[in-house]
Amino acid sequence: MPAASAIRTLVVDDQLTMRALVRTSLQQIGMRDIEEAPDGEVALRSLLVQPVHLVISDFNMPNLDGLSLLRAIRAHPPLSKTAFIMLTGRADRELVQRAVQFGVNNYLVKPFTTAQLKEKLEAVFGPLT
Amino acid sequence: MSDDPFEAIKATFFQECEELLADLEGNLLTLESGSTDIEVINAVFRAVHSVKGGAGAFGLEDLVRFAHVFETLMDELRSGRKPCDDPTVKTLLRASDVLADHVAAARGAGAPVDPARSAGLVAELEALTYGGTAPVAAAEPEEDDFGFTPVAMDLGAFEAPAGLPDLPDLPPLPDLAALAPLSAPAPLPDLSASAAAGGWKIVFRPHPRLYASANETGLLLRELARLGPTRVELDDSGLPLLDALEPTDSHLIWTIELDGDASEAEVREVFDFVEMDCDLSITPLSGDGPAEAAPTAVEAESDASALARAASSELDIAALLASVGAAPTEAPAPVAATPVVAPVVDPVAPPPVAAKPAPAAPAPVQAAPAAAAPVTIRVDLERVDRLINAVGELVIQQAMLAQRVTESGLARSSDIGLGLEDLELLTREIQDSVMAIRAQPVKSVFQRMPRLVREAAEATGKKVKLVTSGEDTEVDKTVVERLSDPITHMLRNAIDHGLEGPEERLAAGKPAEGTVRLAALHRSGRIVIEISDDGKGINRPRVRGIAVERGLIAEDAVLSDDEIDNLIFLPGFSTATEVSDLSGRGVGMDVVRRSIQSLGGRISISSVLGKGSTFTLSLPLTLAVLDGMVVGAGEQTLVAPLAAIVESLTPSEADIHYVGGVDPVLRFREAFVPLVDVAQAMGFRDQPAALKGAVVMIVETESGQRAALLVDAIHGQRQVVIKSLETHYRHVEGVAAATILGDGRVALILDIDALVTAKRSRTPSRSDLQMAS
Repeated sequence: MPAASAIRTLVVDDQLTMRALVRTSLQQIGMRDIEEAPDGEVALRSLLVQPVHLVISDFNMPNLDGLSLLRAIRAHPPLSKTAFIMLTGRADRELVQRAVQFGVNNYLVKPFTTAQLKEKLEAVFGPLT
Repeated sequence: MSDDPFEAIKATFFQECEELLADLEGNLLTLESGSTDIEVINAVFRAVHSVKGGAGAFGLEDLVRFAHVFETLMDELRSGRKPCDDPTVKTLLRASDVLADHVAAARGAGAPVDPARSAGLVAELEALTYGGTAPVAAAEPEEDDFGFTPVAMDLGAFEAPAGLPDLPDLPPLPDLAALAPLSAPAPLPDLSASAAAGGWKIVFRPHPRLYASANETGLLLRELARLGPTRVELDDSGLPLLDALEPTDSHLIWTIELDGDASEAEVREVFDFVEMDCDLSITPLSGDGPAEAAPTAVEAESDASALARAASSELDIAALLASVGAAPTEAPAPVAATPVVAPVVDPVAPPPVAAKPAPAAPAPVQAAPAAAAPVTIRVDLERVDRLINAVGELVIQQAMLAQRVTESGLARSSDIGLGLEDLELLTREIQDSVMAIRAQPVKSVFQRMPRLVREAAEATGKKVKLVTSGEDTEVDKTVVERLSDPITHMLRNAIDHGLEGPEERLAAGKPAEGTVRLAALHRSGRIVIEISDDGKGINRPRVRGIAVERGLIAEDAVLSDDEIDNLIFLPGFSTATEVSDLSGRGVGMDVVRRSIQSLGGRISISSVLGKGSTFTLSLPLTLAVLDGMVVGAGEQTLVAPLAAIVESLTPSEADIHYVGGVDPVLRFREAFVPLVDVAQAMGFRDQPAALKGAVVMIVETESGQRAALLVDAIHGQRQVVIKSLETHYRHVEGVAAATILGDGRVALILDIDALVTAKRSRTPSRSDLQMAS
């Protein structure tokens, strides 16, 4: 049963608003250690120096999109164990199915509530304290 | 948390929307100019998608619905299922306007969106999306269950699901070797392991805020003791003597050695609520060197600063990139000996040069241009103005000092003389730099114009293309803000009156689509804005006829083409025979001229019949300094704004006439202009000045009338720092402001308009004068 405050998270989204929303919800769940990146490439660079337990990433971003980020993480042994939650829109069924093939851990449909986010996290990590 | 954090994010969202909408429009204009770049289409999709996403989070239903229809069409376009042709892009541009209106309405900053207009565009977008057939399922699926089973992470090995089909159309993965820095990544604390047998050394230094928020260090220590046996050491060396002690300050540092097998997370949890209000370091007790201590030595301070950094993500990303980019250039020290801490990022580090970590390996992906953007800070405008004011004082002090030194007979080549010269250069540099802080690119005004042109074109049924240049030209913030209205008005005017309708253009051998250009450039220390059209040009006989009809000029007045063109700036002049819906909104070009002149600017027009017209605005770069002519009048030194002066001359007795035997007028270029003796008008002396040796400045008021100002002498042209007279004294008729000269004397800056108007009230009306000519 991991403590939420101990989970280090990287939030990847090209939209500042969305990153702030995810961060605020994560903080309400009790997370403390939250980094942000505006696209997949910056995220990857950041992960290589500072790995995290959890990546929460958008799909559609410039430079390197969410699916490619997921693939890159899974393909790189030091990072491959990182939990990955994909942020999606309601209509992105097809994308979620592809993400499953690449080993996504869970997905979160926008707009979301803090409770929904927590539920998605717990499905991956087990109950959080 | 006292305030709802989501309200603050909502403000961020609207701010971000501004940027998204600007990007959206910019990209659509790129498409309009014929680009079919899939990346541009994708960027448009992303912008709309982001607006929708944020709007959904805040329950802005109208905005979501409209954005969704927009997004659906963009999805068709980016997948290539529908062509991105010109009519489509035109519709998208109008849709982006309505989207902007929806955003403004949601923000409460604009009128509610006209439902008919919105619905009309929704219908147009849907027609393009579904090709005329009714949408089968326009609504988004309500259900968000994708038949997905979450993959639990036991923090053990991750196994990719087996038996997956091959996916041939995948883009190549970024080359991690090229991205990988030479230094080892910071190890990740292991969540499952309770690790670090042998205990922890905790250094805990509360900030005053920790006490202020009613936390009790004793309770924290007791909490720690529950994790295992502790040895506590108190460092009270920072404690001042009793009479110097500020009871709300914090002076104590505790060092706690905790034995046992508690995990770092457990230790950290004790400090969970006070982490932001203290310096905290947690290191393994057994660690005997920095390298080994490193894995968990994540300093609370750097954590706190990481959080602070994250608040401003641009800064964060730029800095992160910098830290990654910088890594390979560091000396390749043995990894084990390098204390590995979470990358400490200096938030005030200079903007990173977009350095690639491994120059040898070709980078697989392009660096994000946004990530290399210059680091910025937000500063209260009042602080900047205070600084500008102080620098103004500095400039004056420096000038006074220089004058004193000259007067005291010290040679320029003396140590003091040379030092002063350096000081002068430095002062100038400071002044320029400080002025540059207030400078902003005119982009913020220019980027509002494409929409305006589209709407004006729609209203007049004309085809118009807007071409802008020089968006990055910088000018004082106040000037930028006050440029919007004049430019808006002149653009409307150019489209309404300047450009012809498509048939008329074709008949004249021009393309059906008219071109309006909006350009900004720097020219000799001023900013110049040009608005030109390739329309029919000014119909001079008609303009002249109207001016005569309105009594603005005498029927037989001899005017150059240039003078005729500039008649349109006179108050009461409007060439529109019927008040058109567009530019005839009760304001004429005289209002434009007045607002430009209130900024110390000038406006002029040049026109070629059948080819078009060009309006040229010339404005000072700043409102804090003024180019002035220093003149002497009756023992006093005054400053006349250079922008108002047309020319200066030495009058001859023969040129001066008296209207009604009292009021002097000066014959100037075959016309009579009222002559104002400045010293007399300002009350410096009772008797009119002796003409011998006197100088006349021909000035032009904001309403375009000319007058002659008689002064005793012209001392020279100088840049002066403007000081408000009202804040230090009170408003004085005929005086716009004051300044301090190099010799320390205060000089008044003349208010040309007030001087001339005051004179006019006692002189015959202009038409009388013109009759006389």
